[in-house]
Amino acid sequence: MTAQLWAVFVAAFLASAVEFVEAFTIVLVVGVTINWRSALAGALAATGALAVIVAIFGTALVRFVPIDALRIVVGVLLVLFGLKWLKKAILRYAGLKAMHDEEAIYEEQIAEMRARGEHHQKRVDPFGVATSFKSVLLEGLEVAFIVITFGLQATVSAQGRGIAVAALGALGALLLVIVAGALARAPLQRVPENALKFTVGVMLTTFGTFWGGEGLGIEWWHDDIFLLVLVAFYLAVSLALIAWLRPYAPTQVAPTLEELDNPITSEVAE
Amino acid sequence: MNAIMRGLKATYNFFAGDAILLVAVAIAFLLAFALERANMPNALIAVLFVACIVGGLVTTLARELHGRPRQR
Repeated sequence: MTAQLWAVFVAAFLASAVEFVEAFTIVLVVGVTINWRSALAGALAATGALAVIVAIFGTALVRFVPIDALRIVVGVLLVLFGLKWLKKAILRYAGLKAMHDEEAIYEEQIAEMRARGEHHQKRVDPFGVATSFKSVLLEGLEVAFIVITFGLQATVSAQGRGIAVAALGALGALLLVIVAGALARAPLQRVPENALKFTVGVMLTTFGTFWGGEGLGIEWWHDDIFLLVLVAFYLAVSLALIAWLRPYAPTQVAPTLEELDNPITSEVAE
Repeated sequence: MNAIMRGLKATYNFFAGDAILLVAVAIAFLLAFALERANMPNALIAVLFVACIVGGLVTTLARELHGRPRQR
């Protein structure tokens, strides 16, 4: 497998892990308040729908869209997704935006379900299936687009296995989240979600810039090696932006990068 | 009409969700395309292309700061 295909696999895996952790929380809520049959039926149906979306769009785009136009479209989408993720991650690291709290979301959703009068039952419940389906589909849709766009470009430049490799990355993340969730039987709080979002944001912006630029006719210095220069550049810019924004954060929510990603050491430090 | 607007808004939120980022990325691609057509030097196009993307990120973050008092 080439370095570019590995990058596609890693990016798809990390992006999917973030989104599936969020979807898992809602599936868990449905499983606990209604029943696991409804929760899993909804989640499986949504996973199937996502696979169909990837297969249809992926195949259609490769067949009918010229390569240079495809590179530009892929570049625009990846840069937009990348900057969106990077912005959120930078604001969270700087302390200007609250960290994503799966435990709080879990409690809030449980309370909402109970307020609606939902209770544990044995038969498959349409509301439970729909809730689980909707959460997995919505969280997974962005992943599907990342798999399609990333995979398409890699398919064009790396002999036709890009979409399969990106889909494998997403599937690996899904399996990991399911196994971790089944073992924990609780919202997955220990996942360093912001670090993943930050990393994926840098990767998507880098590849989007590179492939979009190629589609426009830009010849990058030393071809693929320039990807490393772009990664380093975007990383440096992002870290500089965090340092710039941090003084504006309320003092109690401006922890260091290490503290944010290692709650254990941060508790010890306190 | 409401359903169409809702659909458009959902699509915008899904793909961008931030007007500044959307405009910056559009400018980056359109400018690079125009400069490429005008046969400008490759290095200049590449630098301007990346600068527009970074500029979008910096601008949207600066906008987030608007109205926040400096703490220390």
